[in-house]
Amino acid sequence: MTQPSPPALSPTPPLIELTGLEKTYAVGGTLIYALRATDLIVRHGAFLTVMGPSGSGKSTLLNLFGLLMRPTAGTYLLEGRAVSGLNDDATSAVRCKMIGMVFQSFNLLSHLTILENVCVPMQYAGIPRAAMRQRGKALLDRFGLDGRYGSRPTQLSGGQCQRVAIARALANDPPVILADEPTGNLDEQTGLEVMGIFQELHRSGKTIIMVTHNPAYRKYATQAVSIHDGRASET
Amino acid sequence: MNLLEMSVTVYASLTRHLVRSLLATLGIVLGIAAVVAMLAIGEGGRQEALRQIESQGIDNIILRSVKPAEGNAQQTTRSYTQRYGITQRDVEHIENVFENVRLIVPVMEVRREIYLGQTSTDIKAVATTPAFLKVSRCRLVDSRSRFLTPTDGKILDPVCVVGTKAARRLFGHRDPLGQAVVIGNVSFRVVGLMENPGGGRIGGQFELNNLVCMPLETATSLWGGITIQMRRGMAEKVDYDFLYLAAKNIDAIPGTAGRLRTYLRSAHTQVDYEVQVPYELLQSARRTQRIFTVVMTSIAAISLLVGGIGIMNIMLANIFERTREIGVRRALGARKRDILWQFLAESVLLTSIGGGLGAGLGIATAAAAEMISRMGGEAGLKAVVTSESLVVALAVSVITGISFGTHPAWKAAQLDPLTALRHE
Repeated sequence: MTQPSPPALSPTPPLIELTGLEKTYAVGGTLIYALRATDLIVRHGAFLTVMGPSGSGKSTLLNLFGLLMRPTAGTYLLEGRAVSGLNDDATSAVRCKMIGMVFQSFNLLSHLTILENVCVPMQYAGIPRAAMRQRGKALLDRFGLDGRYGSRPTQLSGGQCQRVAIARALANDPPVILADEPTGNLDEQTGLEVMGIFQELHRSGKTIIMVTHNPAYRKYATQAVSIHDGRASET
Repeated sequence: MNLLEMSVTVYASLTRHLVRSLLATLGIVLGIAAVVAMLAIGEGGRQEALRQIESQGIDNIILRSVKPAEGNAQQTTRSYTQRYGITQRDVEHIENVFENVRLIVPVMEVRREIYLGQTSTDIKAVATTPAFLKVSRCRLVDSRSRFLTPTDGKILDPVCVVGTKAARRLFGHRDPLGQAVVIGNVSFRVVGLMENPGGGRIGGQFELNNLVCMPLETATSLWGGITIQMRRGMAEKVDYDFLYLAAKNIDAIPGTAGRLRTYLRSAHTQVDYEVQVPYELLQSARRTQRIFTVVMTSIAAISLLVGGIGIMNIMLANIFERTREIGVRRALGARKRDILWQFLAESVLLTSIGGGLGAGLGIATAAAAEMISRMGGEAGLKAVVTSESLVVALAVSVITGISFGTHPAWKAAQLDPLTALRHE
């Protein structure tokens, strides 16, 4: 009598899988390729940098990752689930819980305190107020902003604002953080500090996808994509 | 986003531009204030009119003798004798023909001065029958009081019943019961104290609370069957100054009043009478009230339309200014409906605040109007703010917020997240 073999574990799907993903615009009867058919796999815990000259399609790729635009063709699987064809509510839910976004210009809401800013994604996730504020404070503490909960973004430096933005991106503990030139508005030293934070996040298991112009940041990445004229290629 | 979070978000957004938010509500504030104030004054007027009408007795028909122009007087040698008004013949005809009339109560003005010390007063003395108390909607004030009885008339007793206001003026704080009132050199003993709670008047003329009533028979025996007043060779002959007709039921009033008018037109050669029908006045007051309500509603609609357009403008400007915020919120997980509710809630909160401030201002305006109108010491406007009018005002504010906030909020919700994020 033989021992039954344990059931085979199904392989974990990659975090992101793009197949033939394409974005085109029709301008005056001419088809403009913002992103040509792209195949890409991003695994859990990767640090992916996307580089390329201005207008090459970097931001288009990031916006497709962030579900801020719909692809013209191809499929986008997020944790094995096709997400590019979801309706608005489902898309919003994915953005809310699976994706954290960090912008070049921080995009903090100036009329809210930094704690309230950090809590915004949690409001849409339906987290109770007390838990939300507790987590928001913990995140701000983590990035050295303890005691500044009631400050407005206008009272903070650029580096501090970007740290608030990163804290906000982590609010719902999403598996992937998208960063669009997060150091673009910062001086070199502050930029390095912010990159240090991303490095730390990466080490803690987060998947980072970062658009950057700075080739020096390539060293932080485990995976790199270069885009020219809408053609993405892994380097 | 739950309601609490929504409220916090909306509050933060509105307080961001507090002055602008308050200015945005100005149209609503003034609109609601105007509505609340006018409704209060209208309601006060309505209540006053109804009180006056009802104090005359809703099931009564009141005939009043009216002196016609002197040109119609009958001339005899060098003097004038003018006979006019309701006659004994009229009373007898009504008694015999009008089957729906339950009671007929004649009232005759005695036309004799009533003195307070050496000074004559404006207190009126009337002669009437025991049923007067009931038809005039008066009540006895003191448990020792009684009204005129048939026996008083039979034995020609010089007794009288005084109204509360007249009693205060004649006797001050003294107990009026048992006191004497001198009317035309005859002393009358006060046997009762009466009051009309509505402060009504006989046929809209003599204030019931400022009246002295005596038995009709006593007055007739003292001063004759008709009242004659002489001045410069002129005599006036009036059988009865007023005639109360109490109908058997309210439904019979319109028909009886119509028949009465037809009879009087045929029986009198001149219009020396007036027919007062409180029931008709009440109907008329209600019609007037309906018209007033329609006018008020129109004014309210126009002012709220203007206020609502103001709110819509401000909300559209707000949304344009906050396009990037909308993009950020969408990027962070807000659904279209979250954005819609957020801006709709802002609009409703703005109009509700406007409604609340407007209601307060309206109440203050109504109170001020009442106070100013009474400055001369005379009875002026009466403003009555009903809870219904406040509920309506606030409900209308909310509805305005929803009506005029939906389009901007929908527009905000439809913004493409990426386009909104790129908005400068």
